[in-house]
Amino acid sequence: MIRCYFSDYHPIVLFIYFISVISFAIFLMHPVCLLISISAAISYLALLRIKKYMLAIFLIISIINPLFNHAGVTILFYLPTGNPFTLESLLYGIATSFMIITVIAWFCCYNKVVTSDKLLYLFGKLLPQLSLIISMVLRLIPLYKIRFNKIMHANPSDNAFKTAALVVSIMVTWSMETAIDTADSMKARGYGLPNRTTFSNYKLTTRDIVVSIGLVVMSGYLICSNKLAVTYIPIFNYTQSLPDFIIYTILCYTPIILSIMEELKWKYLISKI
Amino acid sequence: MPKPIKIILLLMPLTTLLLVDSNNYYFISLLLIIYAMLPFFIIYEKRKVQLRELVMIAVMIAIAVAGRSAFFMLPQIKPMVAIVIISGICLGAQSGFLIGTLSAFISNFIFGQGPWTIWQMFATGSIGFLAGILYYNNILMKTKTSICIFGGITTFFIYGGIVNLNSLMTNNIATIIAYYVYSIPFDLLHASSTIVFLYLIAIPMIEKIERIKTKYG
Repeated sequence: MIRCYFSDYHPIVLFIYFISVISFAIFLMHPVCLLISISAAISYLALLRIKKYMLAIFLIISIINPLFNHAGVTILFYLPTGNPFTLESLLYGIATSFMIITVIAWFCCYNKVVTSDKLLYLFGKLLPQLSLIISMVLRLIPLYKIRFNKIMHANPSDNAFKTAALVVSIMVTWSMETAIDTADSMKARGYGLPNRTTFSNYKLTTRDIVVSIGLVVMSGYLICSNKLAVTYIPIFNYTQSLPDFIIYTILCYTPIILSIMEELKWKYLISKI
Repeated sequence: MPKPIKIILLLMPLTTLLLVDSNNYYFISLLLIIYAMLPFFIIYEKRKVQLRELVMIAVMIAIAVAGRSAFFMLPQIKPMVAIVIISGICLGAQSGFLIGTLSAFISNFIFGQGPWTIWQMFATGSIGFLAGILYYNNILMKTKTSICIFGGITTFFIYGGIVNLNSLMTNNIATIIAYYVYSIPFDLLHASSTIVFLYLIAIPMIEKIERIKTKYG
């Protein structure tokens, strides 16, 4: 099986990729685009080995959505309430639910690939104080879990409700007192001095620059050409252009293409030994 | 006014004008909400905040996130809004907004980021901001009843109202109305759980924070 080599790229590349892919998934409602995006998202999920299906909810949405939507020309049948059930609203409902599933699938990939330390690395220079707060919170949560268990061990009682109130009270006092200590200690160690570094250190290499330029150019082309228009209601109507489809496919499949290329390169180098 | 904020104020009508033809109201409202949150973060970065205050904010966020994950099996029962309201009252409107947005953002590292994250961030942030502003203007008192009423109303109308806007994604007014109607019981449950949490912890927690404030300044 192929590993996801795209995750090793610089965080900025990953961020550009996910921003553009998720925005296009919301924006391009063209049926072919939806199919391209959802197939790419599902293949990427498979590449990342995520088994997370929330399809049931979206099936319900896809059924409810057309039932409430009455605008449309081609009437399929009448609902018991007397509202016409049209082909256009059915198609529109299906397209919308596809779009929602796609966005959810992309976010599943995003959660696996763009981890919190990568996000902090990206915004650490831009918003230093917010990033400091976020990284502190991410440390505090596991610490509080440990402390919570410690307090629970020290306070055994029959009355669960009373214990809970006591434990919460101790937790809050303890964490606030130590917070002040933390602040003083940070100050003593030179918080706020210039030239601080972050925990993760990523280097922007040539391949990162090449890939991010490629992503930006492809997204820019798709925004500027704007040829993939579609209307569902009242009449289903669409335009198409083959180069736009090809570029959108390449954009969505970027991580998969890059992973396959890397794998082939690896195989080739091994075979030469 | 700092320069980035002026740019954002310009961008808001521009985006609306440019995108309104596309009928993609979800995308427009998402962008507008992001524009609305950015000035708060920029102002916060411009201000040189005391390190102690910064750490206190981190602690409040961590408590809110830990509280939400403690009740993870009961999705609508979460003390997050209650803690955000308390911190808005004790630490001021700006910190309240920051604590609200960041606790929604960070708790979704655990619960999964999604398109709903931005709505949740804005909703909890506004509740924290509102708590701070109303307390500053003596409309909201440090009494159990006053805080509980405020918590119930804001959770139901502001949190429920804003987060349900995520249904804009379907781009269909009837579905959105159906979505709002179906979510009324869930929002009521969330609001009543917030009231219960506030009733139990609001006064003791405010006392604790005040104690820390007088002890360390």
